[in-house]
Amino acid sequence: MQKRFFPLLTVLQTVLLLVAFTQIASAQTVYKEGKAPARESKNPLRVIMVGAHPDDAEVKGGGTAALWAEQGAKVMLVSVTNGDAGHQSQGGGALARRRAAESRRSAEFLGVSWRTLDFHDGELVPSLRAREAVMRAIREWQADIVISHRPNDYHPDHRYTGQLVQDVAYMCAVPNLCPDTPRLEKNPIFMYFADRFKKPYPFIVDVAVDVDRVMDKKWASIDAMESQMYEWLPWIAGYLDEVPRDKAARFKWLKEWRSPRMLGWTEKSRDVLIQRYGKERGEKVKFAEIFELCEYGSRPGREELWNLFPK
Amino acid sequence: MRKMIAIKNFSLPGMFLAALLGLALFQPAGAQTVYKGGKAPVRESKEPLRVIMIGAHPDDAEGKSGGTAALWAAAGARVQLVSVTNGDAGHQSQGGGALARRRAAEGRRAAKILGVSWRTLDFHDGELVPSLEARWAVIRAIRNWKADIVISHRPNDYHPDHRYTGQLVQDAAYMVAVPNICPDTPRLERNPIFMYFSDRFQKPYPFIADVVVDVGAVIEKKIAALAEMDSQMFEWLPWIGGSLNQVPQGKEERFEWYRKRRFRARKGRENRYYEQAAERYGKARAENVQFVEAFEVCEYGSRPSRKELWDLFPK
Repeated sequence: MQKRFFPLLTVLQTVLLLVAFTQIASAQTVYKEGKAPARESKNPLRVIMVGAHPDDAEVKGGGTAALWAEQGAKVMLVSVTNGDAGHQSQGGGALARRRAAESRRSAEFLGVSWRTLDFHDGELVPSLRAREAVMRAIREWQADIVISHRPNDYHPDHRYTGQLVQDVAYMCAVPNLCPDTPRLEKNPIFMYFADRFKKPYPFIVDVAVDVDRVMDKKWASIDAMESQMYEWLPWIAGYLDEVPRDKAARFKWLKEWRSPRMLGWTEKSRDVLIQRYGKERGEKVKFAEIFELCEYGSRPGREELWNLFPK
Repeated sequence: MRKMIAIKNFSLPGMFLAALLGLALFQPAGAQTVYKGGKAPVRESKEPLRVIMIGAHPDDAEGKSGGTAALWAAAGARVQLVSVTNGDAGHQSQGGGALARRRAAEGRRAAKILGVSWRTLDFHDGELVPSLEARWAVIRAIRNWKADIVISHRPNDYHPDHRYTGQLVQDAAYMVAVPNICPDTPRLERNPIFMYFSDRFQKPYPFIADVVVDVGAVIEKKIAALAEMDSQMFEWLPWIGGSLNQVPQGKEERFEWYRKRRFRARKGRENRYYEQAAERYGKARAENVQFVEAFEVCEYGSRPSRKELWDLFPK
């Protein structure tokens, strides 16, 4: 009986072996003429926005993310920490799960992907472990453009996220680092989210994006972050009492409360908006999002950069 | 059950137990403020002003702002000087715990002269890194002092311990108000004002004197406080500077030597901060200002207006 099945087994084994070899051959591109194994897409554009907490990338780049997504770009929002300290009466894993659920809802409104690297909130340090996690996230997304905080933002987690992302620039193209994750052939373009800090130098508006057309999406995505917008942030700022109970009323309150800083970005970038959109439209923009070019990534010319960003 | 019955029957032990129970219940209620209408458990003072000056080594806060500390203390403010490291590497022939104890004693003597409180966070000298452990120690120190104003080094000062002290203190800004961070130590309701001590470094940008304080009135106290730090002023610093052989033997002689060397009066326009002094004190007084301490506002703390800030600092 056993002998009768032997040839069949041999055939199966051969087929399996062949399949295995094919897999290995296709997965490991052979080094040739200085070309290294690369995983990089040309089309569609791939963008990764790396914030410190669930809500940072959404607030600073959510409109641009939504516009890019509408055009067919693949956008992922990442929160380096899981946000497990950002509440006055909740915390730990329970809060991290709540915030992950909020962020996934929020990402659905924007039409983008979302993930967290699951570091503890308020305890981020620029460790190699964290750098490798950021590096793998950027490589796995095969990012053409990476956006994160400046390393002089107000919150230590923001500063260290900015530092970690900066430290990944160039290194994401070095194959001997995180060799388990295929390198990027091209160093992506690295950019910074807006902030209001003046030291060591004030934020420079290299790109301004008119996000008026997608503000409904952006507001809905921010509204989805209940634990932050209606609980923690008003509490730490000392005006939790002002938050209306009614859902519609509190949404209106949210817009009034969050608008001034966003309008500040528009004022800061009016000249750039007029240059990019022409006088008529540039003067009319109400809500803009602004980004600065980091010196450590690929350095496109202004026209090239402006063409990559949604208009 | 037995206890219940005892209380019901007003027995003496029962009443004693009830009193104990009452006390036990009362204690945590007093310590843990109940969350109500957005108010969080808070330990923060309004009056008098509470200031914490965080240097890297015993003698840094004293040297950079001992005069301002003494003026504040004289005006009724509560001031604490903190040394993040215990200074156990700052000597040519001594070291370790023995040196740390010597320098703690010097730090306390100096603080007594200035009229302020003193402590060290006891990290090793010359080995400070911006670890979470060190950040938590700084957060707890700031919270325990219930500080309204926190002053430390810029993160671009010359010594790595200074730079990392500056970074640690910056990283404590805002986080001192987050209750889930170091939940064992009550948070501050308000992010304090964070400031930097002055330094001479130009990169990435030169020190900005947002507040200047004329410390002429207390300069003798400041010099006396610093001179208490024998291990530094008469031993280590002259040694590392190559001038140990110039230090006179007698106590009075070396004090005068130190004063001349470190506290040369620069009157009026010779003063590095003459312009700022003229703005705060008026030109007439600025012409006679000889000793100034200067501070820069850090962007990560509360941001008072210039008038508010100037009103908070001693004048």
